[in-house]
Amino acid sequence: MYIVIVGCSEVGYHLTKALLASGHEVVVVEKRSERCHLLSDESGIITVQGDGTDERTLRKSGIIRADVLVAVVGRDETNLVICQMAKHIFQVPRTMALVKDPKNEPIFHVLGVDVVVNAIHQILASFEEGVPGQPLIHLMNLRIQGMELVSVSVPDEAAIVGKRLREIELPPGSFISLVVKKDGAELPSDSLVLEPEDELVAVTRTGQEQVLYDILTGVP
Amino acid sequence: MHVLIFGCNQMTANLVPDLAQDDLTVTVLSRDRECLAQVAGEPGVSVILTVEPMMQDYLQQGGIDSADIFLAMANNDHENALAAQVAYHIFNVPKVVCHLTDPQLQILYSGLGLQVVGYSFGLLQDIRQAIEK
Repeated sequence: MYIVIVGCSEVGYHLTKALLASGHEVVVVEKRSERCHLLSDESGIITVQGDGTDERTLRKSGIIRADVLVAVVGRDETNLVICQMAKHIFQVPRTMALVKDPKNEPIFHVLGVDVVVNAIHQILASFEEGVPGQPLIHLMNLRIQGMELVSVSVPDEAAIVGKRLREIELPPGSFISLVVKKDGAELPSDSLVLEPEDELVAVTRTGQEQVLYDILTGVP
Repeated sequence: MHVLIFGCNQMTANLVPDLAQDDLTVTVLSRDRECLAQVAGEPGVSVILTVEPMMQDYLQQGGIDSADIFLAMANNDHENALAAQVAYHIFNVPKVVCHLTDPQLQILYSGLGLQVVGYSFGLLQDIRQAIEK
C-alpha cells in the first residue's frame, strides 16, 4: 500500500520503519528538516519537508494516490485538520489519527476519521491487562458513540459460575459477544454454561462498565 | 442568550463589550491571563483560565451544553477548527462561528458546513486586484 505519514516524532519514526519492513511504500511529511534527513539517510525513503497542513506540501507527498493517510503530529487538533484535508481535498480512502486527549476521540469518529488511535486508551488497556486485580479490560471504543468492547475474566468464586448465559441479566445495551474457554472461543448461546476463568468479550455502553463488571464477577 | 467564546485576543477584547451591551451572557475561555483580565470587567461576562487549550471539560465548564452561540476565536486555526466542530457536532450549539486565517482552511471548512470568518481570503483578492490596477 502507498502510505503517507504526517509527523516524524517518535511515533511517526518507528511507525515508518515498521511499515517499510512490512513492504509498504511510505512517504513522510515533517516540518523539521533534521528529522527528514534522519529518516531518508537511514531508510532511503522519500521525505517531504514542510507543514503537513499545507495543501501544496501534501500534494508533493503524492497524497493524491495514497491508500492511507496517517496523522501522528503532537497535537490532536492538527491531526484532525490533516485527516479532514486528506479526506475532503484529496479523497484518500482511509485516514488514521493519533489522539492524546481521550475526550477528543468521539469527534474524530463523527467527522469521519476511519481509525482513531487513542494513546491513553492503549496504555490503560495494557495496564489493566498487566496489573493483577484489574480484570475488566477495555479492548476498543466502537464507532457508534458511547459503545465499547470490553473483556472480563470470570473469577473462580463468581456467582455466575455454573449458570447458563440466558440466566444472567445484563445491563441495558450490554451483550456478551464471545466466550473464550480453555479449549477455544465459542459464540454465546443461551445454553452455554459459564466456568471459572472464562474470558467474556462484551459490548457495553460507556458508563455501564462497572455495573457489567459487578454482574460478571460478583460473589454470591 | 449565552455566548461562549473560545480564545481571548485583540479581536475578542473588542467584541466582548458589544456583546455584553446586547444583554447577552458571555463566557470567555483562554490561557491568556492578561487578556481575560481585560474583558472580565464587563457586566455579564465571566472568564475561565484554561491550562490545556483543548480540554473539553473547560468547554462544559463554560456552559457549552446550553450555549446559543459558540465563537472559536483563538489565535490557532487548528484549535478553532476542532473546538468549532466539537461545539457543532457533539454539543449541537445552534450557531457556531469559526475564525480561520489560512485561506485553504477557510475553503475546506466552509465546504464542511461551518460558518467561517476571516479576512485573509478577501485580503488576498484585494492584494491581487490592487496589483493589477
